[in-house]
Amino acid sequence: MTFLFFVIFSWFVVKAKTQRQVLALALAGTTAAVLVAPPRVQAQSSLVGAIQAVLNVINGIIHTGLTSINSVRTAINSLYQNVVWPVQLINLARQQVMQMIAQYRNLMWGILRINVASATLPPTQQLERVIRDQQTGDFALLTTNYGNAYGPVPVSTAASPPDRAMTDMDDAMALDTLKTLKKTDEAGTLALQAGDQLEGGAGVAAPGSSPFLTATAVVASIQCQALTQKMLAADLRQEAARLAHESGLLKRSTTYTGQVGDQIINLLKRN
Amino acid sequence: MKKALSMDFERCKCGLRWAWGHKLRVAVLALVLVMLAPRQVKSQLLDPCCAILVAGLTTISSTMSNVIGGGLNSILTVDRAIQNFEQTVVWPLAQITQAHRLVNSTQSTFNTIQTITRIPVNSATLPAPQQLEQILLSADANQIGRTSTSYSVVYGPVPNATAASQDVRNRIDMADAAAQAAMKRSIAIDNLANLEIQAANQINQSLQIAAPGSAAIIEAQADAWLVRANAYTQAAIADLMRVRAIDLADAGANIKSGATSTTNLGQELINLLKRR
Repeated sequence: MTFLFFVIFSWFVVKAKTQRQVLALALAGTTAAVLVAPPRVQAQSSLVGAIQAVLNVINGIIHTGLTSINSVRTAINSLYQNVVWPVQLINLARQQVMQMIAQYRNLMWGILRINVASATLPPTQQLERVIRDQQTGDFALLTTNYGNAYGPVPVSTAASPPDRAMTDMDDAMALDTLKTLKKTDEAGTLALQAGDQLEGGAGVAAPGSSPFLTATAVVASIQCQALTQKMLAADLRQEAARLAHESGLLKRSTTYTGQVGDQIINLLKRN
Repeated sequence: MKKALSMDFERCKCGLRWAWGHKLRVAVLALVLVMLAPRQVKSQLLDPCCAILVAGLTTISSTMSNVIGGGLNSILTVDRAIQNFEQTVVWPLAQITQAHRLVNSTQSTFNTIQTITRIPVNSATLPAPQQLEQILLSADANQIGRTSTSYSVVYGPVPNATAASQDVRNRIDMADAAAQAAMKRSIAIDNLANLEIQAANQINQSLQIAAPGSAAIIEAQADAWLVRANAYTQAAIADLMRVRAIDLADAGANIKSGATSTTNLGQELINLLKRR
């Protein structure tokens, strides 16, 4: 580009006819050369200023920013280690779990296992033993021992059908409740074992693993509530049967009263 | 060859002669040529500008190493300390795995409890009580509608108006109503309890694959279920209290009825003696 300009400019200078034309070309050429020429090199003072500006940015904004970030991270670290999860308090909590296990577990187990059996006669002793053994595999023995203690349902020649039905229902509800209690006793023992497991787990847990134990403990509580509800349902059935029994007796007495009244009237009519 | 050289020499002489005759034009051309000539490259060793640049860049590099590098290193040290603390104290993988195993072990215990609760307890021997007992132990809310019919078969209906006084009929009907309602509620409570056990198992299974951060959400759900379970227990206790209250009221009504009968009998005896 520069070379082409110089060639054209030279041609005009050579071909110029008057000195005035030469001077005009000289003026135009130098002006154009100034415009076409590459820019000047920056002054030394500007370079030093630019370097100093970069240094100022590094030592100013960046240094302050990094120091601030470091301060915040250090504060977070300190907060974690001294306030949120202080190791000595975590260890103290674990020690407390272990200390309470040692203090209470065997003591409470012993209290729950105190023998409360109180029957004195052989049939009732057998029944009492089987209703308190916390086993679910001996329901047949329970039925037998119950029959030995309370007698069987009267045969059809010994009692009216309504009396037999009511007696059978009473026995059934009592036996159902006793069997349900044997089931809940066994389940309760397992629930206690689960509680022991969870407490033992809490003794070696970390803050991050304890939510699992808490959640499982809540799930275990739901299961225990369900068992309690099953016991209450059995109690409801039993109480309902007792009320129904009394209601049935009232119905029967009403019927008997009517029958006795009729018989007296018939007797008086004959006389 | 010689001829060519002499021609070139002649041309140079002609050019010089032209230049001598046009000094101004040659000067203008020389000036413009100088202005347009390429600039000389700066020397890295001798030029003071380059030396300043080198010194500046060295200072910048040193400052960046000290200020930025040093600052980042400090942050890295603190972050490593936090990472180490979180990995060894707050969320140690070994303890989390151990907790997963404990949850799994607890699930086995729950499964055993569930097996125990399914053992049948029915005990009636005669057909009518067997049918009523089967409904009562069904733990199926759909069976509640069949309760009243089976109940009447075992315990009899309310006497009609000619067979008993209104007071007696009221007592019987109320006692039957409370007994039947309690029986129906027991079926519903058994059904609810089974559903709670099922839900508890689902929650525990999801806990076995949970992370420490998601376990808290599952725990919140389990807490909600526990609140609900407490409400069901309260409903069962409420019905138990109702049936006992009606039982007590019935016992009281029995004494009242006895007192009325005694008064009536006394009056009848007095009337009989007066006649004689």
